Amino acid sequence: MKKYQLGEFEEYVLLTVGVLHGDAYGVSIKEEIEKRLKRKVSIGALQSALRRMEEKGFIVSELGETTKARGGKRKRYFKITAFGKKALDYNMQTRMELYKEIQNVALQYKLC
Amino acid sequence: MSNNKPLYSPPTLGSQLLRWFCKDRLLEEIEGDLLEYYQIEREAKPKWKANLLYWFHLFHFLRPFALKKIGQNSNIIIMYRSYFKFAWRGMMRHKMQTSFHLLGLVLAFTVCGLIYLHLKFETSYDSHHKDADDIYRIAWMNENPQTRTPHPMAQALVSEFPEVVKAVTFSPIYGPGLTKDVILITHDASNVTHEITDGYFADTTFFDVFTYEPIYGNPKQALQNEWAVVLSESTAKRFFGDEDPVGQRLSFNGMVDLLEVAAVVKDAPKASHFRFNFMLSYVTLKSLPFNDPWLSWDDFGHFNYVKLSPGTNPEVVESKIPNWIPKYLNWSEDNIESLKAGEIGFKLQPIQDIHLHSNIRWELEPNGSYSYLIIYGVSALFILLISIINFVNLNTARAAQRLKEVGVKKTLGAFRSQIFTQFSIEALVTTFLALILSVFVMNWLETPFNNLVNGSIAIENLWQTETVTFMVLTAIFTAIVSALYPSVYLNSFEAGSILRGLKLSKLGGSNLRNGLLGVQLVATVILISGSLTIRNQIQFLKDKDLGFDQDNLMVLTIVGQTYSQKIRTLKSELESISGIGETSMVSNVPGGQFNQHPLYMEENPQLRVDASEMFVDKDVASTLNLEIVEGRMLDDVFAADSAGTAFVLNETAVRELNVQDPVGKQLFWVNNEELVKGTVVGVVKDFHYNSLHVPIRPIIMMMNQNAYNHLIAKFDPNSLPQIIEQVEEKFTEIVPEVDFSYRFLDSQIEELYQEEARTFRLTVILSAISIFLACGGLLGVISIVIRQRVKEISIRKVLGASAKNILWLINLKHLLIAAIALLIAIPASVIFMRNWLSNFTYQAGISPLVYGVTSVGILMLIGLTISLISIKTIKANPANNLRSE
Repeated sequence: MKKYQLGEFEEYVLLTVGVLHGDAYGVSIKEEIEKRLKRKVSIGALQSALRRMEEKGFIVSELGETTKARGGKRKRYFKITAFGKKALDYNMQTRMELYKEIQNVALQYKLC
Repeated sequence: MSNNKPLYSPPTLGSQLLRWFCKDRLLEEIEGDLLEYYQIEREAKPKWKANLLYWFHLFHFLRPFALKKIGQNSNIIIMYRSYFKFAWRGMMRHKMQTSFHLLGLVLAFTVCGLIYLHLKFETSYDSHHKDADDIYRIAWMNENPQTRTPHPMAQALVSEFPEVVKAVTFSPIYGPGLTKDVILITHDASNVTHEITDGYFADTTFFDVFTYEPIYGNPKQALQNEWAVVLSESTAKRFFGDEDPVGQRLSFNGMVDLLEVAAVVKDAPKASHFRFNFMLSYVTLKSLPFNDPWLSWDDFGHFNYVKLSPGTNPEVVESKIPNWIPKYLNWSEDNIESLKAGEIGFKLQPIQDIHLHSNIRWELEPNGSYSYLIIYGVSALFILLISIINFVNLNTARAAQRLKEVGVKKTLGAFRSQIFTQFSIEALVTTFLALILSVFVMNWLETPFNNLVNGSIAIENLWQTETVTFMVLTAIFTAIVSALYPSVYLNSFEAGSILRGLKLSKLGGSNLRNGLLGVQLVATVILISGSLTIRNQIQFLKDKDLGFDQDNLMVLTIVGQTYSQKIRTLKSELESISGIGETSMVSNVPGGQFNQHPLYMEENPQLRVDASEMFVDKDVASTLNLEIVEGRMLDDVFAADSAGTAFVLNETAVRELNVQDPVGKQLFWVNNEELVKGTVVGVVKDFHYNSLHVPIRPIIMMMNQNAYNHLIAKFDPNSLPQIIEQVEEKFTEIVPEVDFSYRFLDSQIEELYQEEARTFRLTVILSAISIFLACGGLLGVISIVIRQRVKEISIRKVLGASAKNILWLINLKHLLIAAIALLIAIPASVIFMRNWLSNFTYQAGISPLVYGVTSVGILMLIGLTISLISIKTIKANPANNLRSE
């Protein structure tokens, strides 16, 4: 369904936002994804994914406190919304359904 | 991360950039993220790496979602955007007018661009040589100036003049009658033979003066060796393909393995006033046991070039020569006197000026002509002017239609400057669009244009800073000028009065428009009358009686002394073909280059006259139909004639030698200090053996069995195909080693006026464009004017004016403008064309008919244009026009 559409990277970001509940902002999300997925994430790519999902309504954001390390700039914390959760569920579910449909034969790697 | 540590600061330029481009809403957060992340990276990595990463992330962040929307909060940008929108809508609404604007501007920009490139190419000759500004050719200026000077002069100048740094003397390998000799070069190892022209003898210093890029071997050293030959790249390719030929041996005119290839250099670029295919050293020539006066001070038969020390004024060297050179020249007191008096003398011609400014005897290759380039340039500027004026005129005429628009804008608070900006931008959009389109058109017309003017322009040369700047400036200038008037004029009204219903009773700016129209017509008239005059001159040259027959004559050319016997066999064979009339063997064909030497009568040895020479056989007079006025023509039944001691002169030679009854008198012919004494046996009527650019000069004709290069044959034009077939058969039978080719004498002579013919074709095209543009512009303006005057015309009709009256009313003013334009243009054109005609010795003169035709044509065209566009309005029922309000 179109309204739950999530890109692969968006899905990871959305999941990470959920994982980091309460502490999800730019740098922390980036580090978390890099740690778990062992892949480099550019701030630009991350930000554009966050913006996109915010527009779709999967996440909301609010400005938080400032720390010295940020030169007096406030953080923007992201939180997953109920709609976001629904999208995640939908994605997971369709994926699992598809996975289960695969016949065993297709996964047996013998010489043909 | 410790909180006490000072912060590392990231590249300031980066954060600055971010502040410029990033949306305000996102800025704080992203700046924070980047900074925080930067701190982490700086802990772990060297500074440059962290900086690099900072930049990387920053640029990755600058995606469309993060960028400030242009003009999201800027009035100015919104305004500009609306200007473009307005410009576009305006263009779309008046499609006819827009396309005419574009067509005119594209035509003008294209013509200007192409001609600019052509002029640039023509003026770039020989600039590829290193220190080209300091290289000069020494020319000999007497009453008939020439390019050739004595061989020892170059090196004498180097050793005795401190200003002369390097010098070289060289000479093309000439055959009899000063034709560039064709040499048979054979590479025996692979048995490849080619006929090669443009062979040169040169000093060892040739490559010190001229810049050629070596490909194989060392060209500078190569010229120091006997029998060494330097090949041009294209010649080397003909024999050896892509292999390194250094060390290979070549045969020279059948002399086996005479030459050794010592070096290969890149061919001279096309913008070069001479080029060689192979080059031998004078060292080779001097090693032969031969004491040719050709290499002495007495023979003005070599090309001398000097390179002066940087920045030397050539006149300084020039002025020293007359006092220096007499010690070498074995001249009479009189001659030395006139040399010192400056009546005759040596001149240093800057090498880069040779192509356009030097057109004296024995140029190495046909040069260009400056006067034609001026014609090209002026015509192009005229077209540009006409087109700019069209654009300006149509824009001013249209301004009145936009009165309401300006009124509304002003009410809503537009400044005067904003009105101006809007008009400018609208014009700029059109001019730049035209500029871009014209580049495409230029690309498309590159080859046709090159064919037309025999040029070799390349459109990619357009992409140079100065050219691009020039074109962009022209476009901007055109746009601003066309915007200036409407905006000043429309700004002069108060917004309130415009909206209250101010009607422009008259279209503003008619004075300006009429003035510009006049200028346009002046340019058009000059172009048209100029091309008509050029046409007259060409026709005149074609029709002029040359003093000999040029029609139905075929020329077969076999250059090279090795063929002198064969050309005789060929002659007798050809005479047996039916349809071939008289045939004659000659050394030079009328219209070609001639060698020359001095003559003097035995009775008056003081009076020496330089005369061209032509070696002929007994049939020349009957073949060319030369008229004998005294004595007889040469004939080999007389022993003296075939021995070459009987001469025939032309009338000019007799006149200049100042001799009465020359027939039977003794004459000396000074052929390279070898004095030939003979008897004058006849005098022929003057004939134009040179092009009509120069007057008839003395010529001497004699027999010389070894000097015939051409066979001229009269043919019957009715059976030409069969004749050519038979001639080719005989030719290949007798001279199988030479490819058969033939030319017609009349077309060869016509080639002398190629430049005129080309200029004519170009000016005809440009005149047509100018008429088209001028009439189109007039049409546009009148159609707007008429619309403004519909009511007036209707009332006149109601009151009883006839269509004829009204047509006169509308036409009269413009016909008056045209008349004034003619009054200005005709004298200007007469002066200009007189100047051009002075290049010719034989001038058609300026025909009043040309100006009559031009004037009547222009007036009729204007009347026709105006009548055509206004007739509809005039014929319309006045009631309909008056009823609408």
